[in-house]
Amino acid sequence: MTAIFKREFRAYFHSMLGYVFLTIFILLSGVMFLLSNIFSATSSMNGYFASMISWAIFILPILTMRLFSEDKKLKTDQLLLTAPISITEMVVGKYLAAVGTFLVGMAITLLYPLAMSFYGNVPVAETTSSYVGFILFSGGIISIGAFMSSLTESQIVAAISTYGVVILTMFLDMMSSHVKNAMISKILLWISPFDRFDDFTLGVLNIEAIVYYITIIAIFLFLTVRVFEKKRWS
Amino acid sequence: MIEICNLTKSYGNKKAVDDITFTVEKGEILGFLGPNGAGKSTTMNILTGYISSTSGSVKVDGFDILEEPNEVKKRIGYLPEQPPLYMDMVVSDYLNFVYDLKKLNKAEKLKHIQDIVDIVGIDDVKSRKIGNLSKGYKQRVGLAQALLGNPEVLILDEPTVGLDPKQIIEIRNVIKELGKERTIILSSHILPEVSAVCERVIIINKGKLVAEDTPQNLSHRFTQNSKLQIRVMGNQSDIIDVLKTVPGVKSIVVLGQKETDSFDFEIETTVPLDAEFSKQLFMLCAQKQMPILMQKEIAASLEDIFIHLTATDSQIKQEPYAEENENSGGETDDSDI
Repeated sequence: MTAIFKREFRAYFHSMLGYVFLTIFILLSGVMFLLSNIFSATSSMNGYFASMISWAIFILPILTMRLFSEDKKLKTDQLLLTAPISITEMVVGKYLAAVGTFLVGMAITLLYPLAMSFYGNVPVAETTSSYVGFILFSGGIISIGAFMSSLTESQIVAAISTYGVVILTMFLDMMSSHVKNAMISKILLWISPFDRFDDFTLGVLNIEAIVYYITIIAIFLFLTVRVFEKKRWS
Repeated sequence: MIEICNLTKSYGNKKAVDDITFTVEKGEILGFLGPNGAGKSTTMNILTGYISSTSGSVKVDGFDILEEPNEVKKRIGYLPEQPPLYMDMVVSDYLNFVYDLKKLNKAEKLKHIQDIVDIVGIDDVKSRKIGNLSKGYKQRVGLAQALLGNPEVLILDEPTVGLDPKQIIEIRNVIKELGKERTIILSSHILPEVSAVCERVIIINKGKLVAEDTPQNLSHRFTQNSKLQIRVMGNQSDIIDVLKTVPGVKSIVVLGQKETDSFDFEIETTVPLDAEFSKQLFMLCAQKQMPILMQKEIAASLEDIFIHLTATDSQIKQEPYAEENENSGGETDDSDI
């Protein structure tokens, strides 16, 4: 697993992809910081994360689109699948590499609260829980992207289908408020990854929400493993 | 070492591999021969656990590929048809990665990788990006990848495809050298390659196994009667008179004058072309002061056998020997294809 992780992580920085992702990520988060903290003269990062979450879904698929589809296209999956490692190891190794690259971007954004702490009081609890929540949320999106990438050998198809699924979940909140049936409305809200995020911005580490995101990650990684297992057993 | 039993792989209605059964002994080099699309790569992909079979079993060193895939994969080094290379990686980084991927002993890493690099001769491109290498070098890097960890079984899918003649000879020598200690399955649609390196040949066509033997036996099997081409110096009719006295000679065909003062003949015999026959032939000619300038056995070439076995015309299959003898002069009759 470490071999896969190391190679994939490096691959992001051997190609332009990692740099492109980080550039866009830092550029966007810088603009968000400027708008929601500097111009608004507040040290609360609630506004920052609220806008980050709607932007992140558009740039995270950049990280995941090549994850499995590139291997399929270049036939390097023959190397990975005939090596004495389990499919779970391969999937998790690759997933963690994508998450790792994302975390590099997140680590750089830590400069914002750090810079603010020199000039005012940064609400530590809220900021910390927002970071945790945002990382969990992004982890979920990355797992969806990983799954989509395992289904196709085209990176474009992988990226677009990820956008499709994630954007659809964006509307779950909206749909739930229009649905008359209370039960269905509740279910829609319950599966929405966006609604869950609100607690984190309030400085609450809600166990239910944490379990929810981890479950999303686990489900999509499991499905990805199944995609490869199916090939082996069909 | 490798046991393949009733292996079948279907894609919808089409059977890519149809009920193939064979075994490979430890230390053997097996040639896997067939036209394009015969099912060679599919069989190899199943053997290495890349894809599943529809039915049948594959066992390597006693381990089943489905039940204990990691035990099987540990024992196999696989070079697929298209070498699985990451084009954005440097050769040495790539080999390091594969070494870790195969979970090999960390302590011997550098030395082992260097050994393999020397065997396949890629030392001078070690620090170059794989994407920038020539096809021949990419193929070698692919071979190096398969060799890492000294697996007991090597499965090489068309290892010399796309190489220049010099590289082909080099890679063949590498394979022969490796075959001294390992079990190798090598696929190819190039016949001389298989006869040059393999001890045993399996020919498949349209997913079915059609022949299995040593290259020599295969050629003997398809030449029913033994034939000999000789060039003798002297007068044509005198030579024929002498040849008729050689025990075992069935028929003599005059091939004409190819060198001054000599004639070429094709002799068909009823006895095997062993030392005894050659001795008698030589002595009788020598007595009459007729030097034999050249003598060569005419065996069906693997090309003949191959074309014969894989011919779509069922008529040819039903009466193999009669058809074969017409073409057994070494020249292939193209109309059969």
